[in-house]
Amino acid sequence: MTEPTFESAQRELEQIVERLERGQAPLDEAIALWERGEELYKLCLGKLDAAHGRIDELARRVDEARPG
Amino acid sequence: MLGAKSARSRSACGASILGVKVPALQYGDRKVYTVAAFNRGVGEWLARLPTVWVEGEVTELRRHPSWQNVFFTLKDPSEGACLAVTMPRGQFDGLRLDLADGERVHVYGRPSLFEARGDLRLRALTIERFGLGDHLAALERLKRKLAAEGLFAADRKRPLPRFPRRIGLLTGNDAAAKRDVVSTIVARFPAARVVVAETYVQGPRAAQAIVAALGDLCGEADVDVVVVARGGGSFEDLLPFSDERLVRAIAGCPVPVVSAVGHEQDSPLCDLAADVRASTPTAAGRLVVPDAAELADRLARSRAALERGVRRTFEREGERLRSLGDRLSRAPALAVERKRAALEHAAGRLRALSPRATLDRGYAIVRAGDALVRSPAQVGPGARIDVEVAEGGFGARVE
Repeated sequence: MTEPTFESAQRELEQIVERLERGQAPLDEAIALWERGEELYKLCLGKLDAAHGRIDELARRVDEARPG
Repeated sequence: MLGAKSARSRSACGASILGVKVPALQYGDRKVYTVAAFNRGVGEWLARLPTVWVEGEVTELRRHPSWQNVFFTLKDPSEGACLAVTMPRGQFDGLRLDLADGERVHVYGRPSLFEARGDLRLRALTIERFGLGDHLAALERLKRKLAAEGLFAADRKRPLPRFPRRIGLLTGNDAAAKRDVVSTIVARFPAARVVVAETYVQGPRAAQAIVAALGDLCGEADVDVVVVARGGGSFEDLLPFSDERLVRAIAGCPVPVVSAVGHEQDSPLCDLAADVRASTPTAAGRLVVPDAAELADRLARSRAALERGVRRTFEREGERLRSLGDRLSRAPALAVERKRAALEHAAGRLRALSPRATLDRGYAIVRAGDALVRSPAQVGPGARIDVEVAEGGFGARVE
């Protein structure tokens, strides 16, 4: 399974929270959900922290002044 | 083109092209014109055309102090058609227009042929710079035309990506707009990757340059949203952003475009064609990236809710277990109690059947010695009897 994107991980985390908050999950499932939720939380946080910003400059076109 | 056959007689004669008298050569029954005569004929015919106004962009302006004439090419900005224009240098200088390449003008003149070369050109009598009113009228026409094509339709607008992989930023080299966008993006989402294309954003060449830069940005890997930013400026300064070529390029851009051009009150046509319009470069920066702090908050809240949710499940299960335990521990006592109640019930029923209950209702048991007295014959007068009632017994004698 490929690593989910931040967006899909966050969405899954929120779905898990919602399911737990409804309080209908049996205990075994609640524990499994919690473990998965923690995993997703760490993944999201890691993605937020690890990504490095970058500003690139495109070279200005030299031919842009030519009439087309 | 003269025939190789010298046998053909060659004699000059007059002929007419559309009423213009031009000398022609006669080769038998074929009338042939020299190039000079042909050009002169066409030239004279052209000279009969009326004097007209022609609108276009000035390009390739050539002026030299030693030349008698000033030359430039008038270009149709949308179709690219070109027309050579000449004007006597003195007259041109007298207009004090200080024209630059790319400026839009109206030229009043008449067509003429430069006979030596057979080139058509417009001989200018006067030149007027395209005025504000002309610009406004042209803009309004263009706006209506593009709107009719559906270029500004709401259903064309695309949503911006929530997490852009790379953000294309198109700005002028005016530092402010670029700085505002970049600093807002970086402050909100430090992980953002931005690729900046600087270009001319002002002047006659700007529209073309912006279109080219937009194409470059879209060609960059992973760019999935483009911001076009330019600070405020005069109406003329912002004209390139209403140029048809640019407006079409923005509408046709493969990724969503955020337009942040000029101030709130300006509405260049590129704003209408863009997917989202931002009132300022800073607002554009806020639109293209999520707020990392807000995201982290939301994550933390999710995690807290996750823990709460699990704890609640544990508590609920624990509660259920405890209550089961309670019931279990109370079960033996309960069973004894139940048995006791059943016993009491049985005892009650038993008691109801005993003579005691009869005594309680006021009956008496009479004994003579050990025998129960059931008949008066059992006791004679003066005999001793024992009487038992509900609350005790007493002795008596029979009268």
